[in-house]
Amino acid sequence: MNCSYINNLLRIALCSLLLLVPCSLPAMDADYCLMCHGDADIVSGPLLIEGSTFDTTAHAMLGCSTCHDAIGDEHPNGDSELSRATCLDCHDHLGQEYMMTDHANYATCGDCHNPHEVRAMDAMAGYDMNDKCFKCHEAPAMVDLHNEWLPQANLHIAKLPCITCHTGSEGYEIVLNIAAKQDDRFLSRYELPGYQTLQEISGKAGILSLIDTDGDNFITLRELKGFNRNPEYRDLRLAGTMVPSDVSHDLSTLDNRYDCTFCHVSGPESLQTSFLAIPNRDGGYQRIPVEQGAVLEALYGTPDFYMVGTTRSASMNIIGLIIICGGLVMPFGHGLLRFLTRKNRQH
Amino acid sequence: MSENKKVYLQPTPVRIWHWLNAFGIITLAVSGAQIRFPEYITLLGNYKSVIYLHNTAGFVVAISFTFWFFYYVFIARSMANLYVPKVDELKTGLLRQIKFYFLTYFLGWENPHHPTPRNKFNPMQKSAYLAIMFVLMPLVSLTGIFMTNVEPLRGVIVMMGGLKVLMNFHFLLACCLIAFLPTHMYLTTLGHTPLEHIKTMWTGWEEGAEEVSSPESIGTVSTR
Repeated sequence: MNCSYINNLLRIALCSLLLLVPCSLPAMDADYCLMCHGDADIVSGPLLIEGSTFDTTAHAMLGCSTCHDAIGDEHPNGDSELSRATCLDCHDHLGQEYMMTDHANYATCGDCHNPHEVRAMDAMAGYDMNDKCFKCHEAPAMVDLHNEWLPQANLHIAKLPCITCHTGSEGYEIVLNIAAKQDDRFLSRYELPGYQTLQEISGKAGILSLIDTDGDNFITLRELKGFNRNPEYRDLRLAGTMVPSDVSHDLSTLDNRYDCTFCHVSGPESLQTSFLAIPNRDGGYQRIPVEQGAVLEALYGTPDFYMVGTTRSASMNIIGLIIICGGLVMPFGHGLLRFLTRKNRQH
Repeated sequence: MSENKKVYLQPTPVRIWHWLNAFGIITLAVSGAQIRFPEYITLLGNYKSVIYLHNTAGFVVAISFTFWFFYYVFIARSMANLYVPKVDELKTGLLRQIKFYFLTYFLGWENPHHPTPRNKFNPMQKSAYLAIMFVLMPLVSLTGIFMTNVEPLRGVIVMMGGLKVLMNFHFLLACCLIAFLPTHMYLTTLGHTPLEHIKTMWTGWEEGAEEVSSPESIGTVSTR
């Protein structure tokens, strides 16, 4: 009887363990692998995985053995050809898109995306998206190439991800980043600071509290204005960029992107959707939604985000119209009196 | 002693500058309007072309402004005399000219100001041109130059309040200049004949001007 009781207890314990295993297996699996693959003294080159970076990728939840499933007991001996899943096993739609492009003849998925470091598009600042492109397409050469037809090519390439135009995504949205002055020099450049720098500026309240003062994870126009006007943050600026709203690997240029008015048009009707990208401890970014129309605000909403023809301010248009109409007062008013009194000058 | 004569009021370099400036500013106004309202105005072709046109016209006007400035300061040496109102002009001349334009003109009185090559502009013109040529034009040119060089000049732009502040400033300055155009064109019709002043800016000779002969007069005077 004792034996049966113990067996039952063992069965219950085993079942409980099995229920827990699916949740923790990938982490256990990764931790186990990283004991060697996270140690630079044991492995090197592509075999060396930065554990903290890998943990922030969407692939981390799959664990190592989901992709590297044929690892024998004798590993690392005797299995020099490590099995690996192909990207297309999961990303078949994006893969098919990509395989139709010229890029597929020159670069595999892994040439651009390290599967142990890759982040989702909404975990990126926007500006960093071009790092992959610049591996092959050097920025100065791209500026020269685009200068042949694109006004202000250097500005476009510096401020936009390549995939905003070279994409299958029809729509785009605005991502705002907090940029910080690099030093105390008068005309020092503003660059995107890392998590640590912004954390030191914001203190215990957290980086988001620099702008989201009411802590509701939503940025209002009032909060944006408050941030831009706050003298304490005079060395911080909001820098904006446009990113595609959908992930696409069709890297051909959409025809409408050659038409400047695809972006530079519409005023208050387009470019309403924007997000604030806040750097995370892990090196990625978290997007916080911003009230509609932020980039259209005349001066204090986003003073460093301006697109001619697009983000024009309605209030400035009205002031401008009043000024121009003021210039018509003299010819019309004086002209009318001149006509009415014309007989006085007939001498 | 005075008599009706033709006065050579506008030297050739000034006339070339004026018409180049006029053509450039009208081009800038129309192309600027299309750049700002591309969904409503398509007068000058596609957006890319109109951007290039606006930038080119802007540089032409800025360069012609520089030539104009150097011509009057270093060659004609009459910039201060022509464009800066003197104290008595501000004290009494301005009021007298305002009184003429807005009252005595309608009563049929003569213009109290008689242009000479050394004193072409009445006190009101001087004040207006001082604001336009020494404030509006340099500022609109400067903000335009900043906007065509955003990347290399980003530090300065941020210091000035940001790209949006700069752009709105450029826009409002441009509106002020555009507002001046109808007034300017209207006032050219207030000569003895509606086309008199326009002809002067084309030929250089002002007909019917009263030239008081004096040793200081440096302008060419003809009785033809």
